[in-house]
Amino acid sequence: MNFELLKKAIAESAAELGITEYEIYYESEASVSAETLKDEISSLSSNVSGALDFRCVVDGKMGFASTELMEVEEMRKLPARAAENAKYTDKPDTVGIFKGSESYGTPNAPAYKPMTPEEIRKTALDIQSETYKVSDKVTDGTQSAVSTGEMTVRMVNSHGLDLQASSGINFAYAVAVVNDNGEFQDSFAMTELGKKSFAELSAEAVNTALEKVGSGSVATGKYNIIIDAKQMRTILAVFSNAFSAKTAQAGMSLLAGKEGEKIAADIVNITDDPMREGIPVQIPFDGEGVAAYRKDVVKNGVLQTLLYNRATAAKAGCETTGNSSKGGNDIRPYAFAIEAGDKTEAELFEMAQNGIYVTEVKGLHAGANPVTGDFSIESAGFLIEGGKRTKPVKSFTIAGNFFQLIKDIKALSNEVDFSLSGGYTTFGSPAVLIENMSVAGK
Amino acid sequence: MLEKRLLEEILGIAVSTGADFAEVYCELTRNGSIRLLDRQIDAIGDRTVSGVGIRAFLGTRTVYGSTSDISREGLIKCARAVAAAMGDKNMPQNVRLTERIFPNIHPVRICPADADMKIKTDLLKEACEAARAYDERIAQAVGNLLTVDHTIQIANTEGLLTTDRHIRTRMAVQATAAANGEMQSGSCSPGRGMGLEVFELFNPKEIGITAAKQAITNLVADYCPAGQMPVAIENGFGGVIFHEACGHSLEATSVGTGTSQMCGKLGQQIANPKVTAIDDGTIPGAWGSVNIDDEGHPTQRNVLIENGILKNYMIDRLGSRRMGMPMTGNGRRESYAYEPTSRMTNTFIDNGPDKNEDIIASIEYGLYAKSMGGGSVNPLTGAFNFAVSEGYIVRNGKICEPVRGASLIGTGAEILMNIDMVGQNLATGQGMCGSSSGSVPTDVGQPLIRVSNITVGGK
Repeated sequence: MNFELLKKAIAESAAELGITEYEIYYESEASVSAETLKDEISSLSSNVSGALDFRCVVDGKMGFASTELMEVEEMRKLPARAAENAKYTDKPDTVGIFKGSESYGTPNAPAYKPMTPEEIRKTALDIQSETYKVSDKVTDGTQSAVSTGEMTVRMVNSHGLDLQASSGINFAYAVAVVNDNGEFQDSFAMTELGKKSFAELSAEAVNTALEKVGSGSVATGKYNIIIDAKQMRTILAVFSNAFSAKTAQAGMSLLAGKEGEKIAADIVNITDDPMREGIPVQIPFDGEGVAAYRKDVVKNGVLQTLLYNRATAAKAGCETTGNSSKGGNDIRPYAFAIEAGDKTEAELFEMAQNGIYVTEVKGLHAGANPVTGDFSIESAGFLIEGGKRTKPVKSFTIAGNFFQLIKDIKALSNEVDFSLSGGYTTFGSPAVLIENMSVAGK
Repeated sequence: MLEKRLLEEILGIAVSTGADFAEVYCELTRNGSIRLLDRQIDAIGDRTVSGVGIRAFLGTRTVYGSTSDISREGLIKCARAVAAAMGDKNMPQNVRLTERIFPNIHPVRICPADADMKIKTDLLKEACEAARAYDERIAQAVGNLLTVDHTIQIANTEGLLTTDRHIRTRMAVQATAAANGEMQSGSCSPGRGMGLEVFELFNPKEIGITAAKQAITNLVADYCPAGQMPVAIENGFGGVIFHEACGHSLEATSVGTGTSQMCGKLGQQIANPKVTAIDDGTIPGAWGSVNIDDEGHPTQRNVLIENGILKNYMIDRLGSRRMGMPMTGNGRRESYAYEPTSRMTNTFIDNGPDKNEDIIASIEYGLYAKSMGGGSVNPLTGAFNFAVSEGYIVRNGKICEPVRGASLIGTGAEILMNIDMVGQNLATGQGMCGSSSGSVPTDVGQPLIRVSNITVGGK
């Protein structure tokens, strides 16, 4: 693919139509991954894809058109398609195409080193063999996988702005299936390659599965709950849209109009940082070309700012926070995280005394309502008795309201865990202690 | 779509290093989206998805390559990469393709891409205005009109060469009700494997009103109580319970790798004798229907469970090899970027022997789940969950006050036996089902059913 050639075709076609303000956003991805079953590679796949998004201002309105068909003929059609779409849009465009920020930050993630297909195969087989070694209860159905992927972005517009970024990630996961006297359990562990040894990854997957064997039930009632970091960041992800100014201005966020107000417990701090240390996928600009930067979203429980793109900032009379998604019409966070507290996990258990430690939540796409904050979600974990983690438990739900939950956080652990994401958005959280949560069980 | 000679060449390369089978999947999809927000058309977009997936098999080992570079060089490079990953033998093969045309059982009258844009924007406005007019507490109505025009071409080393075109249309309205610092939402999102003529079937006004009604009901509802109780689950999207509690565990994806609770249970009583469940990809114009699956195999009607007895699984090509059973027309994928696997099409519990009024009347104290959200399952253990988006308490056989925020959890094996009443108003609901081969449209369905005892998650 010759980007310059495609760009030229678009520019010519736009000029013919009298379109003077436009943007081209090209994103491409290349990945290779291997999966194992028993002691062999069951599947090896490689993917190469690229998509070009075009948008333009026509008669004061924005039109969009995009394609994966990287041919000159197709490029020539894009401006006309976008102009036609603009014609039937009602919303006036208030901000146009962005001219560019004064300066842009520099990603600090280590340079991406792609793995060869041979390395990927070997690594996947090594992890699979480690996983079988952990316990003689590991059974067939167990899978290991390794993947390498790179993403590049190029953004050019009619004001002469020309931005590029690329990042990549190598990661592995193991899904351990164990059979303990006829009871099957499974568990999943994932890591960026180089962060954990294969043995650690395998042991995590197998031991987490084994720990679930013989899970009991809990009685319906109110409990002190510790939600582990992985589950809490998953819950944060589901409700993160409430921090979007677009959602707020549409009247679909309970955080609308709450900037400067207390929305969470004093100990809660939430930040959004595009170049957070340790995050492998970083980008110095947002989907409109605005420089991305770190911001406090919640400080000591007080909402500092929502996340804005240029259009919502213009409407609110403030500055954009550089959180536009591609196309300028939506909002995306970067590394969006509840910051660490000062308690060790042992101290959290000690504070809870008796209750439930939640280490699995399921079905959040349905069991949690991002608009209302309500959630009722299938969970599993361990009992907490006398300040210690004891028996495994399953088949219960925890229920509440996210906006109340962040007010009710009594303590936070001192370690933040981030989701491993190939995209620009990732979520992080420490473990949290909540008192008196509703649990439905037997 | 690709020339026959080029396809033959690519397939020849893909099997040249020892593979026993290869397949090419070529896709050209035109997606249209219109979004309405704040009473205005907020954004209109269209997206062309174009690319090719090449897959090779040796026994149950697979290699998959996909690319959006569909130039001759790009395709040959992809086929060579697949061949190199498969092995290092030198076994050139000649591939000869013969075109086959399958009947189109899902005709379309109004292709959405060709229709006047104003007709489409007006449909959305009609739906969202109706939602706002329903009650003054409706603070927002967001509407989306999504259209897909999907053309695929499949060729494989068994000589198959075929194409198919599939069109689908869906409108989704989400209404938000606000009062006294609280917010609740309701939604309605019907779709079909049809063109714009689908709106002769659904009235946009009714879509808006259904969403608004649900938001208002939830606004006045208290939290659902928690605990175990009998639950009556209404028809339509209520069928998500079967989809999660059992459907995924019957896919070769999990059965073929030995990671399903349903392994080895053919011929056994796995559900209450009142339960008959079917996966049918041939229903004309249904949301989950296609003429052929994404491996070029015609879809079919598969009885999965008959009177409680497990009769069949849903099997794709790889699953067929792993399990030694025939393919069932369930090999599906979101796009060329995904390797296909066994997926549901239109999956539903069939009508049963009980009268709907008897089902409600039989419950002394329990929950009537009128409308359901989605859910998820672990096929290995069968542990599933799904959300109730509109629910009511049943007292002494009568539907009483609404309750919100409920979810239902349990395990497949247990719940299938506990479906002890099956009504007679079978209807379907539309969903996008996510799994390893991406997000595909599936219908769920059932008549009103009673589950004698299930854990209700509430507050």
